[in-house]
Amino acid sequence: MPEIIELIFSDLSAQFLSPRKRLFVGYLACAFCIAVLWVCVVNRTSLKTAIAMIFAPAIWLSRSSLFDVICFLINRLLFSLLRPVLLTQITVATLVYQLLHLQVLMPIGALEHVNYWIAAATFTVFYFIFDDFSRFGVHYLMHRVPALWEFHKFHHSAETLTPLTVTRTHPIEGLMFLIRTAAVQGLTIALFVGLFGSKVDLITIYGVSIFGLIFHSLGSNLRHSHIAIRYPAALEQIFISPAQHQLHHSRDPRHYDRNFGVVLSIWDQLLGSFHPSTDEEISYGLGPAEAGFTKSVWSMYWLPFVASFRRLTRFRPRPPKGFERLR
Amino acid sequence: MSKLTILAGFVLVGLMSTSAMADGHGNHVYGPFPVTLKGYSGDKTNSVSYSGQVGRQLLHNSLKKAIGKNAGLDTINSYFNGSDEELPILDPVSSEKFMVDHSNVNDISKTNLSGKAYKGDISGWPGGMSGKEVLASMIARSSEVDGGYDATHGYDYAQLVSKFAMGGIFYHQACDNYLDEKLEANNKPNNKPYKDGAYYTGKEHSWDEAFGYWGAAAHGATLSPEQNYNIAKKKDMVSADANSDGVVNLKSEMNYAHAYYASAFDKGGKTKYYKTITQAFIDGRQVIADAKGEALSDAERNTIMGKARVICSNWEKVIAEAVFKYAGSVYGDLEKLKGGGDAKAYRKYVKHWGELKGFALSLHTSHQNLGELGRKIDGLIKFGPVVGGVSPSQISMNTRRVDGVDEAGNFTFQDASVDEYMLYMLRLQKLMEDEFGVVAKNNDKLAGISNLAEKLGSGESVEND
Ligand SMILES: [Zn+2]
Ligand SMILES: [Zn+2]
Repeated sequence: MPEIIELIFSDLSAQFLSPRKRLFVGYLACAFCIAVLWVCVVNRTSLKTAIAMIFAPAIWLSRSSLFDVICFLINRLLFSLLRPVLLTQITVATLVYQLLHLQVLMPIGALEHVNYWIAAATFTVFYFIFDDFSRFGVHYLMHRVPALWEFHKFHHSAETLTPLTVTRTHPIEGLMFLIRTAAVQGLTIALFVGLFGSKVDLITIYGVSIFGLIFHSLGSNLRHSHIAIRYPAALEQIFISPAQHQLHHSRDPRHYDRNFGVVLSIWDQLLGSFHPSTDEEISYGLGPAEAGFTKSVWSMYWLPFVASFRRLTRFRPRPPKGFERLR
Repeated sequence: MSKLTILAGFVLVGLMSTSAMADGHGNHVYGPFPVTLKGYSGDKTNSVSYSGQVGRQLLHNSLKKAIGKNAGLDTINSYFNGSDEELPILDPVSSEKFMVDHSNVNDISKTNLSGKAYKGDISGWPGGMSGKEVLASMIARSSEVDGGYDATHGYDYAQLVSKFAMGGIFYHQACDNYLDEKLEANNKPNNKPYKDGAYYTGKEHSWDEAFGYWGAAAHGATLSPEQNYNIAKKKDMVSADANSDGVVNLKSEMNYAHAYYASAFDKGGKTKYYKTITQAFIDGRQVIADAKGEALSDAERNTIMGKARVICSNWEKVIAEAVFKYAGSVYGDLEKLKGGGDAKAYRKYVKHWGELKGFALSLHTSHQNLGELGRKIDGLIKFGPVVGGVSPSQISMNTRRVDGVDEAGNFTFQDASVDEYMLYMLRLQKLMEDEFGVVAKNNDKLAGISNLAEKLGSGESVEND
């Protein structure tokens, strides 16, 4: 038993102390500074007012935030225990690499003599783009496939957004994210080791991918917050601003299924789901028909299974009504 | 009490604790151990004896050399089967840099290798033979080609014989016999001499024999991996000469066989096979000595059986590390050969394959049946390396490999693919990692994958965007 506690404790502390994690204290500090600066400049407030606004108790101490904390702890426990049996990127990479050996299109090591930095830069950029696209793709499916939407509701049921909301994920969706990661990393690694040989490298700073470090330092944690940081319209065409993701969480049907992307907004533009940020006041959460979803932590975890099962078996005693998202 | 006496006290305690630390939990040298046999009245004071095993280590070293230098079948066989006549030690030979105390195997022990070879079936070698027959057949074939090098079939017999002999004789004898059935209570008991007239007990000598097969210098556990490696390579006489008599005593100051390979892996800093195994031998021997010639109690027997498990599981890992390493070498050789047939590169490839095969066959010879895992290993390595059908080193043309022997005893061929074989080498490395837990992982052909995976980290943070 103490072993499990130790495991969970080390997992929890890693969530906040490892620069590889979104919730790393350094990134949270960056987000805080950016938020202060934004509020002071845009709202022309004093530092004191800005800080009071950022730490508004109505946000941080809301029922929704409390649920975030509970879900965070439950999920960490669940995934610490699951970790040993999960599919890893190494398994995928090894399998794909072995398959690459058997095809004739691309000889193994074809680009082995390319300069180290070119190989590393190509790998780092390719991985960033492929990873971002696949996140967009999975998110898109979570909204568009009804049986998956039932699980993704878990995330959208947050009525106040704080950085911790990023971990408000149904375990089934979490599992899908893990498979996505293993697949994307495994494929990229196998492809690049196959092309460039063992010397291919990821460009890192403090052990973190350079793109990850930039994204997180520039306030990725503000995507889930009430600080609506907007970018100039031209920039929002390329990068998704925190305000654009907040709009994704809007309970206004006009904003449904918009801005699925993480870093780049080009995918949303390509698939017609792009929406620029607005200065409207946005309220977050599910439609009024879904009020029962957040009745308890238990219902959040359990209801998606029931609803998803019904969707899959087409057993729908009553058609959904009202503001529920119909797809 | 003055400050000075307190200080002196601290210094004294400090010195005592450091000297105790340097000594660890006591002994780091294999022997001498006292004679404990009840009723012994002779003048022996040291019960340690494994000269028969040292004799076999020297036969093995010399056998490999004899094959490599075309010594002729009779001479080669005399190192395998033993001989009443003088048997010059071909390796190590005394030199100014590395003086050894003997030049004739029979001065150390008149013995043989063939009598101790694995008698079980070896399905990983063509012909359906026992381990002993495989060695005899390899030796016979080795004398038909120059220096034991058969380019047509891709066999380097000096390597095949040497690597398989280490497993099929030394590892097999230690882990399937002396550290296995001879540790049972009523087999070679400790309250009786090993055999009539011996001055050592049954258990003392069983343990010593196993240590002799391991091949470590008696003081090897006090040395660094580099020192042990250089002793085996005949480059560090100072470290070897523990008793400072100016020569390396082949009976107790030399590293042989798998002990040498263990030191080679340990040099990488990730493993401690040599120390772990050698120290377990020393500790086990101490338990037996402490029984003072009485039959071992259940507790004592359990302790030494625990040591035996440490020894044999790590020993097996050393062999698996070698399989891992040479699978990587073969992969790398094929990568080069794919670019164009080069006789020199091809020679290296055949050498590496011989080492790979010899080590892999050795894994089959311990007391435990590898079963499905064994079939997997054989299935990946096959009976022979991929060779060119037009000329052996042209591995891009009509590639084939040995797939058996016909009735006349000639090797037969089947078509084979280089790319597929390279893939098998990768799978073999993965298998060694998954099933044997190798750590040193020399020539890791999947290192790029694990390095990148480590850098990217896993996505188990399940963040939602
Ligand atoms: Zn969403
Ligand atoms: Zn979100």
